[in-house]
Amino acid sequence: MDKIKRLDFALLGKLLKDIEKPGRYINNEIGTRSKSPGAVKDFQDLILMALVFPDIYEVGMSNLGLQILYDIINRHECFSAERVFSLWLDFEEKLRGQKVKIFSLENRIFLDSFDLIGFTVQHELLYTNILNILDLGGISIRTRDRKNRFPLVCAGGPAIVNPQPLSRFMDFFVIGDGEEVVISILQRVKQYRDNKKEKKWFLKEISRLDGIYIPEFYKFYYFPDGRIERIEPEEKVKKALIKDLNEFEIVQDPIIPNIKAVHDRFAVEIMRGCSKGCRFCQAGIIYRPVRKREVSSLIRQSIAGLKKTGHDEISFLSLSSSDYKDIGHLLDKITGLSKPGRLSVSMPSMRLDSLNLKLFELIQSGRKTGLTFAPEAGSQRMRNIINKNIEEKEMLDCIKMAFSSGWEKIKLYFMIGLPYENDNDIHEITLLVEKIILAAKERLSGRKLARLKINISINAFCPKPFTPFQWAAHDDTENLDRKFDFILKNIPKRYVNINWTDSRKSRIECALARGNDRVGEVVESAWKNGARFDNWTDFFKLSVWEEGFKKAGLDIGLFTRNFSEDEVLPWDIIDIGVSKEFLLKEYDRAKECLRNQDKI
Amino acid sequence: MTEQKNVYETRIRFKFCKKDEFKYLSHLDISRIMIRALRRAEMEIKYSQGYNPKPKIGFSPPTPLGVESMAEYADVLLDGDIDAGEFKKKLNLELKPQMLISEAKTIMEKTDNLMNAAAIVLYGFELYMRSSGNKDMLERFYEGLKEDLITNSDFSRSIFDLKITPQKGTSDIILLKLLGYAKIFKEENNEIFKFNSFYEFFENWLNQYCLNIKDVRKEEIFIMSGGVLKTPMEIV
Repeated sequence: MDKIKRLDFALLGKLLKDIEKPGRYINNEIGTRSKSPGAVKDFQDLILMALVFPDIYEVGMSNLGLQILYDIINRHECFSAERVFSLWLDFEEKLRGQKVKIFSLENRIFLDSFDLIGFTVQHELLYTNILNILDLGGISIRTRDRKNRFPLVCAGGPAIVNPQPLSRFMDFFVIGDGEEVVISILQRVKQYRDNKKEKKWFLKEISRLDGIYIPEFYKFYYFPDGRIERIEPEEKVKKALIKDLNEFEIVQDPIIPNIKAVHDRFAVEIMRGCSKGCRFCQAGIIYRPVRKREVSSLIRQSIAGLKKTGHDEISFLSLSSSDYKDIGHLLDKITGLSKPGRLSVSMPSMRLDSLNLKLFELIQSGRKTGLTFAPEAGSQRMRNIINKNIEEKEMLDCIKMAFSSGWEKIKLYFMIGLPYENDNDIHEITLLVEKIILAAKERLSGRKLARLKINISINAFCPKPFTPFQWAAHDDTENLDRKFDFILKNIPKRYVNINWTDSRKSRIECALARGNDRVGEVVESAWKNGARFDNWTDFFKLSVWEEGFKKAGLDIGLFTRNFSEDEVLPWDIIDIGVSKEFLLKEYDRAKECLRNQDKI
Repeated sequence: MTEQKNVYETRIRFKFCKKDEFKYLSHLDISRIMIRALRRAEMEIKYSQGYNPKPKIGFSPPTPLGVESMAEYADVLLDGDIDAGEFKKKLNLELKPQMLISEAKTIMEKTDNLMNAAAIVLYGFELYMRSSGNKDMLERFYEGLKEDLITNSDFSRSIFDLKITPQKGTSDIILLKLLGYAKIFKEENNEIFKFNSFYEFFENWLNQYCLNIKDVRKEEIFIMSGGVLKTPMEIV
């Protein structure tokens, strides 16, 4: 391998002059574990991997997956992983202006000096950031333009379960759990490098592993109308799966960001997968089956982690924490660790009902910051269709109880543009909010009532691969806007704060999520025309994307339409562990809810 | 009044640095890092009473982002009887070399909080002459310092004193110590020393003598006590 090139610290100092939040670009946090040239004798012999999170530091450092992979790789004596995040616009401009390549935080190694670059991709609107980082690293974005044997470029994470839109940019994809497969990959990178093998050899070698999708091994044939005719070969890539989470201890000494991250807390994954079966939810399918951590070791590791990090907040993560049967015991043990008010505990995905409200009081230790509900739909009819198993009465009872015990802040999540949605379903969203306000008036005294805050977040439904609704259409922009306007007009103004995600953004997100390999061209041209940080409403430019689709000769509608149930889908090449038949059956069940309704 | 010390709590004042890449961390970042280190060292900080209990720790005034500091101070109230030496040793095990504690002392008598008490800040500037400069310019610079900068500039009222030490051996590096008021004395009418606006002004001002700022660091802070300037450590 070529000599490893690094950015000089003095130069970094010059570059950081007048840069916003320079703490994003420095290293030396507590918990960093990359091997450093000074401390390791044969640094040149190590396989170096760049773990790239294509968003800013504060967001990336709040991601548990990144910390897990970082920990696993750096425990290995032959490998070293360093972190790279997206640069904020001012620093990008500075680096481009000074012709300095993007570098890793730990040893400030330039991106193109790494053996393997791995992107962890959390959602589709980060695709342009990926291309931007490669480009900032002086690396050709397209696989076929990268003639050198190194660096190898790959991607993993939930937003690449349909790898097609990024397939022209990646040497390979990693589908599924990364814990085991990342080491298997790195071992083969080592053989590839040490034995000076050909790239073909390497790709062949890793293709034998579970979870590896190699775009150049597949060919897509299209009908003239743009739908896929067939994919060759037909054999599917099976996702990588950790059968028993308990074999991997939770990361007890993660990197503690020096600057404030989005989530400044000790994160503990209690369970992977979800048994709920909401028909719109991608995470609910792709992380199956449900795997639980054993509670006593969880308690032990949590205590150790809090001690090692000094964090004053612990967060128990899973897709549905109320389904973790030992949750009460776990919370009891952890909240009992310290004096009231010193340690806060959070559980982002806890489903609230009157039974576990007491549990919530316990973890908020009297602070009562706010309660979150995700009914997703306003009507029971619609909740049946999406299989969101929340009864209105149960929710209202819980909210009433919460008001009585002193809560004044409620957050509600809704989706609009769901399959089979009608105007009455939208109307019922506003009715539900009215009922909550009525409950508040009943339970809260004058002064407290004045402080009541109901925050409502409304998102446009975006059909995602590997969900029962993967065939459903993305609602028209005009339709979504009309529905949202209706809500805005009819929802009570007092006490309510409403937050709406741009339906145009969700339309592009849908086209990327369900895109085929030709959408890669769109991503490329959008990026060339300045698209990045597309998830930030301030930066999202619809015209750039529309232009991109037009230039590629693609109709956005091809990807947002109703897919027919017998057509070949771009992600059919991946075996996510749940069969297409099952998804189809669930989709049929949604329709059945509709039919049952009609009968009544 | 010190004969019967309360053994259930200890008040400690300590001095630490913020150097190398840590100069890019903000005051809030530094306090968060310190509080977490205290927790890791199993030093139990006392918390305030009330709805939203806060740890009882107070820091000296913020050092500007991007400026190294050899003189950051904090007062902390801890549970139990804790030896200041032990405190320093244990806490340093949990801190990065860029932020180590150099001194810790038990506070025996009540003192003003650091944020309000700090009166004067000492900054050290390292200057170098560009290749286009010459000896003559250097001389004019020394004159300009006294005449122009200290007496006539916008900052004349907030600069307390200036000391210049040409570095031995190298003719082109000058060490300049500058004392700026950090705080208005309530009884007098001094101005706050605004570091960032001074830095900008100073950089421009130096330009006429072909001088650039190579480095700047906060070296010490002083507190007015009984009519004399003392460091925060000298007071306790």
